[in-house]
Amino acid sequence: MDRGESVTEQTDEQVGTAAEAGGVNSGAVDGDGASSDGAIAVEASSFDPGYGAAGGRLSTAPESDRSTVAVPRLGSLDLLRWTWRQLTSMRIALTLLFLLSVAAIPGSLLPQREIDPSKVLQFSAAHKSWAPILDKLQLFDVFESVWFGAIYCLLFVSLIGCILPRSLAHFRAMRAAPPAAPRNLKRLPVHASFRTDAPADEALAAAGERLNGRRFRTTSGTDATGAWVSAEKGYLRETGNLIFHLALIGILVAVAVGHFWGFKGARLVTEGTGFCDTLAGYDSLTMGQAVGAADLPPFCVQLDKFSASYQDSGDQFGQPRTFDAYVTYTATPTSRATKVDVKVNDPITVNGTNVFLEGHGYAPVVTVKDGAGKVVFNGPVTFLGLDAMFTSSGAIKVPDAEPKGLGFQGYLLPTAVQVPGSMPSSVFPAAQHPLLILSAYAGDLNMNGSESQSVYSLDTSRMTQLDVKSKTNPAAGNALELEVGQSATLPSGLGSITFDGVDQWAQFNIAYDPGQPIALGSAAFAVLGLLGSLGIRRRRIWVRVTEQGDGTRLVEVAGLARTEGATPTTEVTEAAEALAAQLTVSPAEAAPEDVAQAAEAAETADSAEPAEPEQPAEPEQTRVPKQQRKPTPRTGASA
Amino acid sequence: MSINENFAHYSNLFIALALVAYAVAFFAYCAEWAFGSSSRLGAKASAVGRLSAAPAAEREATVSVGSSGVSVLTRTAQDDEEPTVAGESLRAEVVGRFAVMATVLGFGFHAAGVLFRGLSAHRVPWANMYEFSCAAALAMALAYLALLATGKKVRWLGLPVSFIVLLTLGVAYTVLYTDAEELVPALHSYWLYIHVTAAVISTGAFGVATVATVLYLLKANAEEGRLPRLSGVLERVPSSGALDRTAYRVIAFIFPLWTFAVIAGAIWAEKAWGRYWGWDPKETWSFIVWVIYAAYLHARATHGWKGRAAAWIALAAFVCVMFNYFGVNTLLTGKHSYAGL
Repeated sequence: MDRGESVTEQTDEQVGTAAEAGGVNSGAVDGDGASSDGAIAVEASSFDPGYGAAGGRLSTAPESDRSTVAVPRLGSLDLLRWTWRQLTSMRIALTLLFLLSVAAIPGSLLPQREIDPSKVLQFSAAHKSWAPILDKLQLFDVFESVWFGAIYCLLFVSLIGCILPRSLAHFRAMRAAPPAAPRNLKRLPVHASFRTDAPADEALAAAGERLNGRRFRTTSGTDATGAWVSAEKGYLRETGNLIFHLALIGILVAVAVGHFWGFKGARLVTEGTGFCDTLAGYDSLTMGQAVGAADLPPFCVQLDKFSASYQDSGDQFGQPRTFDAYVTYTATPTSRATKVDVKVNDPITVNGTNVFLEGHGYAPVVTVKDGAGKVVFNGPVTFLGLDAMFTSSGAIKVPDAEPKGLGFQGYLLPTAVQVPGSMPSSVFPAAQHPLLILSAYAGDLNMNGSESQSVYSLDTSRMTQLDVKSKTNPAAGNALELEVGQSATLPSGLGSITFDGVDQWAQFNIAYDPGQPIALGSAAFAVLGLLGSLGIRRRRIWVRVTEQGDGTRLVEVAGLARTEGATPTTEVTEAAEALAAQLTVSPAEAAPEDVAQAAEAAETADSAEPAEPEQPAEPEQTRVPKQQRKPTPRTGASA
Repeated sequence: MSINENFAHYSNLFIALALVAYAVAFFAYCAEWAFGSSSRLGAKASAVGRLSAAPAAEREATVSVGSSGVSVLTRTAQDDEEPTVAGESLRAEVVGRFAVMATVLGFGFHAAGVLFRGLSAHRVPWANMYEFSCAAALAMALAYLALLATGKKVRWLGLPVSFIVLLTLGVAYTVLYTDAEELVPALHSYWLYIHVTAAVISTGAFGVATVATVLYLLKANAEEGRLPRLSGVLERVPSSGALDRTAYRVIAFIFPLWTFAVIAGAIWAEKAWGRYWGWDPKETWSFIVWVIYAAYLHARATHGWKGRAAAWIALAAFVCVMFNYFGVNTLLTGKHSYAGL
């Protein structure tokens, strides 16, 4: 989405320099419109061919076109072109980025079907008046909604529309030679010069060698002023920028691949039971359009034992410390069974499909006898944990009891403590002293009704609550309180219930996503591209050798960068110093008083009293005679 | 492995000492600002600041003569030209240097506190909100001191940075405190080291960038004569151009790390939950933060957006960073809710 040099910057001062250098009024830059690209403006309006090209093409950002903001007359082709230009303009890209971030916010504040459908149901029940409106606006499915999709599709279209031309331009720039040297190098942000007796060829060859040695791309030439070497480096900045944006497209592709060819399912199993990877084996299963039942790998998993440990002291009392699901699995019906310990961050992988430990809870084991004394139910019933101390709720459904169907609804407290006069509560998440608190109902459980029932709650609309008040424990109210091993007899000869013990259950998520390697690779490229795009400086250095008429030659080295604050001051200075050391520096014919003045100015600078420029004069070189070489601090003077 | 109670105790002690040292530093920075004089240098730099938007060729060129007979002419902005908080006041300079020393001392205690926290629990010391706050404040102090150590004249950052570090650490110590303990199962992964470390450092650095951004907005207004009451104080901070550059450089430096933090989080999510992206509130807000900082980087390169508009975007991004931390951890329920108070 980079229209201007994107993440690359050009400070106004540098725009100014390039523009000024080219004799172009910097107002031309302002007139340029949506793009930041001052250099492009320079290039576009380069009156002086010696300069415009110098700053130009340092970025491959497309030319901007504020002139097209006004809606054109309605020729269909014009309109199309106008729309396309608008879409690929930086302003629209920025707007879309904002819209994307704002659009994501409701997805985090409102319950989402994709994440937890039961929360959406709860929310809808609690806000009956406006939940339907929110639903109409797809606010419970934000990330699958039409409007969210529209924003990111437009953003990607905009991105592609920008990246493709830029890639072509960059490809051309990589093959092209650096631009010719500007005529007046002194006007560039950094400029170093010295005089030499060495012939121009030697100076240019030395300059070319140095810059080539530093992996600059170089070219050379001559013009009316003299001979020059032009060098450019940091092409990887734009390469990185393009790679980053292409990688974003890669991530989008990865998501699409996962959507079409992947599947995810969930299954809850109690200790001692298991499931197989078939359609019937799952509690819930989402398959991509390109996946069929036959594509599910034929593995089976059995939960042998689940164990959890919890913090039993301090201010984090009750926090979980370890979860271990001891599992036996077979990869194929004929392969050997393998025993593994599945932990939260440690899934099992079967033929590319992963099985994750997602959740856990308690399943009280109960035996229910009906009025005839027949065992009508015996086994674990899964309860859902509600809080940090694992107070769990659930329902026991026995529709086949005679004479009436029986149902129980209530809570399991893993470690129950009862303060006299109040309801018992759980004080620790481990099952140290479990207590089952149940309300009892008799009648029709309505399990053949059209609406699917939650396994964790009872539909009591056609049932009557039984009176199970206890004389010995009036605090319990109309509820049964059972410890492990205790039984209760129901009134009117309807039967009895026994609390046999507590099993644990674990929920496993099963996921297969073939888009993952693409996503990972793209993400890696995105980071690398970003590092290049934000870390590499694109800069140009020119060396110009000019005959001085007195038999010496002036060697000038100057630099320009497109990246903010990246003016290659050190590089230019070092290059000039290296060249000066290599070629013999000509003793300057500067008058001794010049040097004295420079030294004086330096001293004033030392005492933190920078001299104001006496008069706005054109800068000129201060030369120090060879025999007087000694370090002179920078002066604040504008010579 | 059991918790080393002694080390946990040392950690608390060091954090308390760090609070004291940072408080001393904060008051010393205040004194530096109070004693500092608005010097001619400051006035001049303000003028330079106003000009910093002007083409460089109109600006003063600096000439230096090297030992080898090479004369160098630069037209880029020089940090040396920027004013300092102390200005020409020797007293303020002395207090300012003392403040930096106190900051370094506080940083030492702070780092020791974080280190002993990790040693006591045999794990990385940023696994809950208390520890994460301590670590992010440490990262912020580190970012400031690192800038100073590399020779950047950023003592103007000292006052706001010490204030924010003090505030963060204070809230952590009093409100968010929790004992050093083992990890919850969800955090039993080496990705905790990678993902959370990157997030901590990014958060601290974004904080520093935000300080520079706020000062930039104030200074930019002051330079246009719109904040007459604050203009005296704002003469001590660098020109708006320099502040803007500082903010940009920090963000451009840290944005790839934040990108990496989000990606590392996605890889961990895949390993723990079976999907690399699921729009969990923390993921959603990290995405929002990422998109807004990306918008900032684009805006800053766009004519008509760069400058103040871009600065407001950076501020909006940091508001989202804060919400992603405090808001998501305390108000919203999601898969990152183990970051227990």
